[in-house]
Amino acid sequence: MSANRIEKRLSELKERNEKTFITYITAGLPSMEKTADIIKAQKSTDIIELGIPFSDPIADGPVIQQASYEAILAGASLNKTFELMKRLRSEGVEKPIVFMLYYNTIANCGIERFVNRCRECGVDGLIVPDLPLEEQDSMKQALGGDDATILIELVSPVSKDRIPGILEGARGFVYCVSAMGVTGGAGEFHREVTDYLKYVKSVSKIPVMMGFGIREASDIEPMKNIIDGCIVGSHFINVMRDADFDPKAAKEYTDRFKEELKQ
Amino acid sequence: MMNSKAYYGEYGGQFVSESLMNTLNEIDEAFEEAIRDPEFMKEYHYYLKQYVGRETPLYLAERLSGKYGTKIYLKREDLNHTGAHKINNVIGQILLAKRMGKKKIIAETGAGQHGVATATGAALFDMECTVYMGKEDVKRQALNVMRMEMLGATVVSVESGSNTLKDATNEAIRTWAKTAEDTFYIIGSAIGPYPYPKMVREFQAVISREAKKQHMEAEGRLPDVVMACVGGGSNSIGMFADFIDEPEVELIGVEAAGKGIDTDEHAASMAKGRPGVLHGTRSYLLQDDDGNIQLAHSISAGLDYPGVGPEHAYLHDTGRAKYVPITDEEAMDALMELTQMEGIIPAIESAHAVAYAFKKAKEMTKDQSMIICLSGRGDKDVNTISDYLAGKGYLN
Repeated sequence: MSANRIEKRLSELKERNEKTFITYITAGLPSMEKTADIIKAQKSTDIIELGIPFSDPIADGPVIQQASYEAILAGASLNKTFELMKRLRSEGVEKPIVFMLYYNTIANCGIERFVNRCRECGVDGLIVPDLPLEEQDSMKQALGGDDATILIELVSPVSKDRIPGILEGARGFVYCVSAMGVTGGAGEFHREVTDYLKYVKSVSKIPVMMGFGIREASDIEPMKNIIDGCIVGSHFINVMRDADFDPKAAKEYTDRFKEELKQ
Repeated sequence: MMNSKAYYGEYGGQFVSESLMNTLNEIDEAFEEAIRDPEFMKEYHYYLKQYVGRETPLYLAERLSGKYGTKIYLKREDLNHTGAHKINNVIGQILLAKRMGKKKIIAETGAGQHGVATATGAALFDMECTVYMGKEDVKRQALNVMRMEMLGATVVSVESGSNTLKDATNEAIRTWAKTAEDTFYIIGSAIGPYPYPKMVREFQAVISREAKKQHMEAEGRLPDVVMACVGGGSNSIGMFADFIDEPEVELIGVEAAGKGIDTDEHAASMAKGRPGVLHGTRSYLLQDDDGNIQLAHSISAGLDYPGVGPEHAYLHDTGRAKYVPITDEEAMDALMELTQMEGIIPAIESAHAVAYAFKKAKEMTKDQSMIICLSGRGDKDVNTISDYLAGKGYLN
């Protein structure tokens, strides 16, 4: 079995024939302390996506834009998120955690240094929305084939003939963007979403996750039999905001969602 | 895997979401095909001549030449329809959009010049047009907002981040990622993912093609120096294009130093920035220690951008072009001097190039010559100029 926490969790879920549930939160919103508590509270969540705030998040809709903006103002940064990760791992948190961040944040840190820090701090995977296949060479080279930190590939409803190339050698899971454009979007999926997901599922050797615009388990009911799991981002931030970032609300929402996924 | 033609040395590339990759490839293919199609180029040049009013004059500024002791030529892009060089590129890209069967166009704008040019092109070719503009810029460029709306465009006031050009560009890219199936994004600066920097250069290269020929006719030789202001770098790449392979011609790009490059308020991404990735391309950027993009400042809204086109970054690193900073104050002094000595009110953007020309002239002889790209006219800036002159600070 892979030593990577994401791959390990995914194969356990496969054995149990269970759907994967992934949430996204912005690191440092409203503070790194709260972020740690919100991560720990999510017993039912299988994988956590932790967004590193960036000044110009072009792949994000209004909710995550605002979250990033506030997190930066509150002092969040890549370095502080690495420190948070290190702390969580030292406290025995073994939940698979993926960084979602923009390429400039990595380039600014220096690719080699960034990858070393990820390994050191227990970051299991990376989602870089502005790093398409054509620009991944140096990132992949730095990551090597190592199990510690893996690169998660994204595909979109208009990727079509690019999909097999993107999936070649892809690890962990494939992130299927449900709609063109940006995160958020409240249940508005691409008109060909079902065919697209079926196609990705048919060519993918790794689990297929759907993200963008999902709020409740019922939103993915029509495609539940095609995909292996889903990602909730903008809506989860709204849920947390409405509850004044109370970790209990994170627990309740994720427990319920995961339970509904099992039905 | 890397698409090496998307790069100028280590700059450029295609740092966009996967959703846009097929779109970029389609545009690249259509563009390469179009510029090799004599019919397409004929149509482009027809509109440049009959609609835009090209060719623009290369005017020998006599009084300034006398005062500064060298021949100062002005490439009069300010005389184009809509008042700046921006329309050259808009005509090219909108004809390409039409050729690709797109019915809707979107654009970002800072000062409003590219927005006005795009709205103009959209009216001309009967296309639906939406222009994204930062909320701050909507306020300080009310006249251009009015012009765009008169032309039938929808102006979207962008409220995110710093509410200026950078954020308007983010929003245009987001909208494009959603709507690329039927919408063409017309980028006005020499920035963005490949092939945009190449397209903008191709459609602005008419500036240097004409200037080279005109200077040859007037002087029987090439100019010694060619200069232009640099924000994102569209007029400057157009002004440099046909001279890049003429090593004896010195190329100078003039960046906005705002209140001074040693203050926090400038837009000098070459002088003070570091390489990074913004708006789909790798180039010099103003950024903080965490890699967040910093706010630019310039009295001229058109230079108020924290990055620069990737080809400029390459020309900078190879030493083929030199990039120098000019402050708000130096630009405004040059603007007044050009106005009063030659009867030409330039855009504040262009006045930056004029200001450096006066400095550069001191090391030149009376037999030598320089060409300054006068990228736009100053009508749009009269409020800013009036506030500046009244000593009230500026609208920025």
